[in-house]
Amino acid sequence: MRDIFLDLSARSVHLNLLRSVLASIGIVIGVVAISSMGMLGTNMQLEVKDQLSTGANTIVITPDTVRMGPPGSEPSSSSSSTDITKTVLAKIRIATGDSGTVIPVHRTNTQFTLGSVPGRASLYGLDPDDITKFLTIGNGTNIVGMNDALVGSTIASNFNLKLGSRIRIGSESTGQSVARIVGIIDARGMSSDNINTDNAIVVSDDWYVNQYGGKDEYPQVNVIVKDIDTISGVESAIDAKVNTNEKTPTVRISDASSRLSGISSSLSTMTTFILAIGGISLVVAAVSIFNVMMMSVNERVQEIGILLSIGTEAGEVRRMFLYEALILGLLGAVVGGAVSLVMGYSVVSAMIGTTAYYFLPASMAFIPEGMVVGMIVCLVSGLYPAWRASNLDPIEALRSE
Amino acid sequence: MTGNPLIRLADVTKVYHLESGDFTALDRVSLDIGEKDFVAIMGPSGSGKSTMLNLVGILDVPTSGTVQIAGKDVARMTGPERTRMRRDTIGFIFQKFYLIPLLSAYENVEYPLILKYKKRDTAGRAAAVLRSVGFDGALGSHRPSQLSGGQQQRVAIARALVNDPGILLCDEPTGNLDRKTGLQIMDILCELNEKGKTIIIVTHDPKISEYANRTIELEDGRIAS
Repeated sequence: MRDIFLDLSARSVHLNLLRSVLASIGIVIGVVAISSMGMLGTNMQLEVKDQLSTGANTIVITPDTVRMGPPGSEPSSSSSSTDITKTVLAKIRIATGDSGTVIPVHRTNTQFTLGSVPGRASLYGLDPDDITKFLTIGNGTNIVGMNDALVGSTIASNFNLKLGSRIRIGSESTGQSVARIVGIIDARGMSSDNINTDNAIVVSDDWYVNQYGGKDEYPQVNVIVKDIDTISGVESAIDAKVNTNEKTPTVRISDASSRLSGISSSLSTMTTFILAIGGISLVVAAVSIFNVMMMSVNERVQEIGILLSIGTEAGEVRRMFLYEALILGLLGAVVGGAVSLVMGYSVVSAMIGTTAYYFLPASMAFIPEGMVVGMIVCLVSGLYPAWRASNLDPIEALRSE
Repeated sequence: MTGNPLIRLADVTKVYHLESGDFTALDRVSLDIGEKDFVAIMGPSGSGKSTMLNLVGILDVPTSGTVQIAGKDVARMTGPERTRMRRDTIGFIFQKFYLIPLLSAYENVEYPLILKYKKRDTAGRAAAVLRSVGFDGALGSHRPSQLSGGQQQRVAIARALVNDPGILLCDEPTGNLDRKTGLQIMDILCELNEKGKTIIIVTHDPKISEYANRTIELEDGRIAS
């Protein structure tokens, strides 16, 4: 049996179809905004998490630069006063023992020249024996000779670098050295081991020290643990061995999970922010629905008077107007949900470059969530008009024209 | 009075607080109306006829005095109790018909049944009542705006009767109808009175008041005769 009040509400919406559709468009926009924005944020998080899962078994140790530098100063990677020393490195090796491999990392940013074309890239200095422990050389071989270098996939593509190409590393003012490209490293994306090689040049540690100095001084040391379940134990051992003074720790120790949680927190904040922007459109939609509902009540005052005078309960009149708000909400939510599916796909594809995560439940969930929020907004917008209708004086209402 | 008091107004005063000052619509009116009475209330505009009908119809409450319907003091009833009494005990027939524009003629008559029984009319009660007031069944699916005044008033009477109330309150029921249709409507009301309904009719028309077995003249909120 169909509810007579639902019938009345549906007929009222049908009678004022254009007005109802226009009001629902606000809800459509609101649902599309929060669904698409939510899916964009979630896809971004999933993409970053996936990329960071490379190197999840790696502990990243960096100097506690805040303690070492003067207050307010920027820590410098090339300054010996902020690097991990030989003594500290030895302690890290002892603390790690057989549980993992310790990889000291030299790093800086550098200019380079390919022929007459200048460029900038990150430069890593690594022991060649360590390189293949965490990097995959897709094309070419590992560093063997003193002047051999590896490049990341992005830089190789952007500068059309090939095996055997020679590049001059360094600026003219600080001196340049020629290196020969012997291998191209596979793309890694944003890795959680804090070694991002896609837009980088990797040279041997000896070459690096010859060019930039800093022997036995490292801005970063990575520890790749054999068993990921032991990662927190190894971290604790290193912390106990190196950071002997709790108030003034020597190094900062982090791993993928702590880095992930930090980045996830930032991305989550950003997602919330863009969702809030989407939410603004729902507020506008709520005002529109409220306005339409008030118009409906004002136009139907006499009808409400008739209903009340012949024995309709106030709650039934309220229900009738809430049904009307819900019909508008349902209309907007269904259309908004369908549009979100297409719009969200386009936005994610355009902004992130991949839709690999789009159809995952965490991403798709934003469509029904957006629809429910849209309907709740409609229902809330209809509360006051419905309450007002049910509280009309039947005599006054009957007199109105 | 031809029966037991069904409606009792005791020393009823109704004052409206208007911007221009207080207006006393009814001033210490006392009145008993029994079962099966047919009462015409007459008087000039502003004499208090509609106010009296609103009080008897439990659409309003008196400023002072008591209104009793079927032995129950209206002032002591809760909102839902008043609503139920309006739905089950009283039928309203208005000059302007006041049909629900979004419902068909049949649905307008079915509506009070749905309010009372919380389900659609499957027993054909609405259609039967419509036939009993001379409404053409073929027009049942028509909206009120597609019906003539006489047809609309027949639908309104059917709606008032469908829950079998004891009291019918009629506010100028022939006021918007031509003479012939008006007389047909009055014939229907007389027939209903003969079947036991208590009818109170507000009218300006002395010819209409002749159908009643009792006439009350109101003047300046008081009973003149």
